[in-house]
Amino acid sequence: MTVKRRSKPVSVNPLKIGQSLGGVLAMQGCYRAMPIVHGSQGCSAFPKALLTRHFREPIAVQTSALQEMDVIFDANRNLEEALNAVLSKHRPDIIGIIGTELTDVAGVDYQSMLKSYKRERNMRGGLAFSVTLPDFRGSLESGFSVTVEAMVDELIQQAGLRGQRNVNSRQITLLPGSYLTPGDVMELKEIVSSFGFEVIALPDISTSLSGHLLTGFSPLTRGGVPLDSMLQSLQSGLTIAFGASMERPARRLHNALGTPYKVFQGTMGLKASDELLNFLHQISGVPVPIRYCWQRENLLDCMLDAHFQFAGVSALAALEPDHLRSVSEWLEELGVEQKALVASCETPAVAEMEREVWVGDLDDAEVLGSGADLWISSSHGIAGAERIGAAFLPAGFPIWDELGSYMNVSVGYRGAMEWTNKAGNLLMRREAEHRESRVRHR
Amino acid sequence: MEPIRKEELDDQACGSMAPKSKPCPRPKPGEAAGGCSFDGAQITLLPIMDAAHLVHGPVACAGNSWESRGSLSSGPSLSQYGFATDLGNNDIIFGGEKKLRDSIDYIAGRFTPPAIFVYSTCVTALIGEDMDAVCKEASDRLGIPIVPVNSPGFVGSKNLGNRLAGDALLQYVIGTGEPEQETPLGVNLIGEYNIAGEMWDIEKLMNQAGITLLSRITGDARYKEITWAHRAKANMVVCSRALLGLAKQMESKYGIPYFEGSFYGAKETTYSLRQMAFLLNDREMERRVDRLTEREENRLAHDLRPYRKILKGKKAVLYTGGVKSWSVISALKELGIQVVGVGTNKSSDEDVQRIADRVGDDTEYIPEGGASRIIKTVRERKADIMIAGGRNMYVAMKEQIPFVDINQERHKAYAGYEGLLRLAKELVDSMVNPIWKLASSPAPWDKEGSYDR
Ligand code: SF4
Repeated sequence: MTVKRRSKPVSVNPLKIGQSLGGVLAMQGCYRAMPIVHGSQGCSAFPKALLTRHFREPIAVQTSALQEMDVIFDANRNLEEALNAVLSKHRPDIIGIIGTELTDVAGVDYQSMLKSYKRERNMRGGLAFSVTLPDFRGSLESGFSVTVEAMVDELIQQAGLRGQRNVNSRQITLLPGSYLTPGDVMELKEIVSSFGFEVIALPDISTSLSGHLLTGFSPLTRGGVPLDSMLQSLQSGLTIAFGASMERPARRLHNALGTPYKVFQGTMGLKASDELLNFLHQISGVPVPIRYCWQRENLLDCMLDAHFQFAGVSALAALEPDHLRSVSEWLEELGVEQKALVASCETPAVAEMEREVWVGDLDDAEVLGSGADLWISSSHGIAGAERIGAAFLPAGFPIWDELGSYMNVSVGYRGAMEWTNKAGNLLMRREAEHRESRVRHR
Repeated sequence: MEPIRKEELDDQACGSMAPKSKPCPRPKPGEAAGGCSFDGAQITLLPIMDAAHLVHGPVACAGNSWESRGSLSSGPSLSQYGFATDLGNNDIIFGGEKKLRDSIDYIAGRFTPPAIFVYSTCVTALIGEDMDAVCKEASDRLGIPIVPVNSPGFVGSKNLGNRLAGDALLQYVIGTGEPEQETPLGVNLIGEYNIAGEMWDIEKLMNQAGITLLSRITGDARYKEITWAHRAKANMVVCSRALLGLAKQMESKYGIPYFEGSFYGAKETTYSLRQMAFLLNDREMERRVDRLTEREENRLAHDLRPYRKILKGKKAVLYTGGVKSWSVISALKELGIQVVGVGTNKSSDEDVQRIADRVGDDTEYIPEGGASRIIKTVRERKADIMIAGGRNMYVAMKEQIPFVDINQERHKAYAGYEGLLRLAKELVDSMVNPIWKLASSPAPWDKEGSYDR
């Protein structure tokens, strides 16, 4: 199907989140890491505040603090200063420099600056790379995957092991897409490892943004995949990517090291879970662990129980592209009418979808989805959902009206069950409220 | 390209127009925190609830910032809509002025707001968009005020953004309308943003005293009321030095006397109300205010008794990003809390002086924004609680330090007499929560001697 856009000169209630935020998010999944946003203060302060609000965790990020004259004359002087400060104060293992629209428009060449900086400082051992993530292109999703790709590239460079690696066929590299919560990543790691594989997730937000008190506060990331595991991941016998946007980094690994890869575009619902488990069963030769057989039964039973709630119901979803696709497949299984599917930006994966997809904002969602019973989007959609009288199911980024949403699970049978119950409960409550308002008082 | 701000303004960039004021230090790369000027401008203007606020630039400046503040509205909610010209690659190359014009037309046509504020951002400033001209042309054509706010992020700090927003109000809004009726006892509040509904508590007090709140600049404001702000008999700048310049210019332009005050703590609240009455120059009013403040203070003292018993002698580290420090210190002192550390990173010299007047000699000043620095102070001074903005909330949680949120995102109103009571309750609730004991005790299997060897 083709992707559509409403003609409107202005974005009203944006759904899109800047690419650079995606880059900062990816870096949170690496241990002792520090992203440096090469731009003005606000370009790092806004993502920091927003990520903090969503994950309810401190977020590691720094800025090169460009001011007007720096942009015009020598932006890289600031970057050098920022690198000096971060290196001497925090000694991070991993540094990611995230170029913004500001450095892009000003045409700042920080890539070669970083190269010579690394050479001069004799920076070995650590990982330092740069990405260009201007906000007038892509969205959170692309920022995230581009950053992972750059990370993978740098790892390959650093290991320098073209052609001569010790492939560990019992080890799998996971590339979880940006829409997966720490709870999701944890669940995926568990599912894959239950077939006897060692799993390295890249990046791994399940151990950094899931909330823990182990190390107290640190200006660097306090969890995530450590650098030595990252390097070890290059020996993996297989890459599994979740979300179409993660195919590019998977392909990087394939091209450079020959690691085969498998991409799962959908991660939600019965079919998607079946596909994943069957795949793991096939490649490992291990029978599907009994707990997943149970969970499958649980899910089917839950879907039966819930189908009264979902019959005749319509929904709209406004999400990042990969997430949208995944959620749409789940809605399909529930037999819910999909009134409007709105993506933050266009990607090949949404263009391929069988349903009509719109690229737009939350105002488009409100107009196109008017009359829907269920509204699925980030917390920015609350007001719109209220205006059209739909039940509101928070999903995506950012979510601030719900505790612990970062631990929600949407993947696997368990995830599908959680979501089905949650959505069903919302609809049930909505129905009850409607009934109540129709009760006549004497 | 022309610099956006002229040099002579830069050395006063911190918001104070006072010539003594030291310049804002350049943010240090790799050590800086805090928002940009664009952020600051929005903080000041977004509480104008019925206006549309259009951000001219790539989507992230708006996309990452809309709906991030706790500034409440008693009615219209158009300002909570996120509007962005959402520039793409081509717009950057060929210019975004047409898109801006179309956006303005679209918003005016569909939402019919009383006014549209248009914010520049770094990119549109860099590529030299002539926003003022587009706004002027659209304003003439559409017959509604379209106010350009030239405060792109890279010109400086949040404080500077507050001030630039104030300049925009002065240049384009204030003095363009007249109040529906003459108000002899009208006062403007400047720099009070109705966070968590604080403005409503203040307004109630003012009404009880018979003082009219003429223009809210800008908490829960309507566009129209700001146009007639020049008819006030007095201005109060609510502990925000960034908008002091606005008050000063209103004094020289319209002869409106002003004072700086705060509503944090009973003493400051009483002082502020008295000061209003004094500037209004009405004897009867002064007597009324005296009666009101006395009554309220007595009632508060009674209600606070159980909390003060718990709070007395407790130590706090206060990090509010500077401008509010001194006023919150007064409130905490009234509750019997000792402030052992205080952030001064964005405070002007005058603010620091005010802080010094209110705390003891052995209070530590924390000049820089590093979270590690704040924690160190909490540890070294054995503080019982940390009071700071949302940015540092989860930093405190990781270190298991009781925390109260004092900045923009919070949901509790702490202004006025009622507010102080709420603050006391919040502090106590936070400190006595069972979680602190639970979180600091190890798992049973980690305890020494928990198993037989
Ligand atoms: S610093 Fe500039 S580009 Fe970054 S958020 Fe602020 S206005 Fe936007």
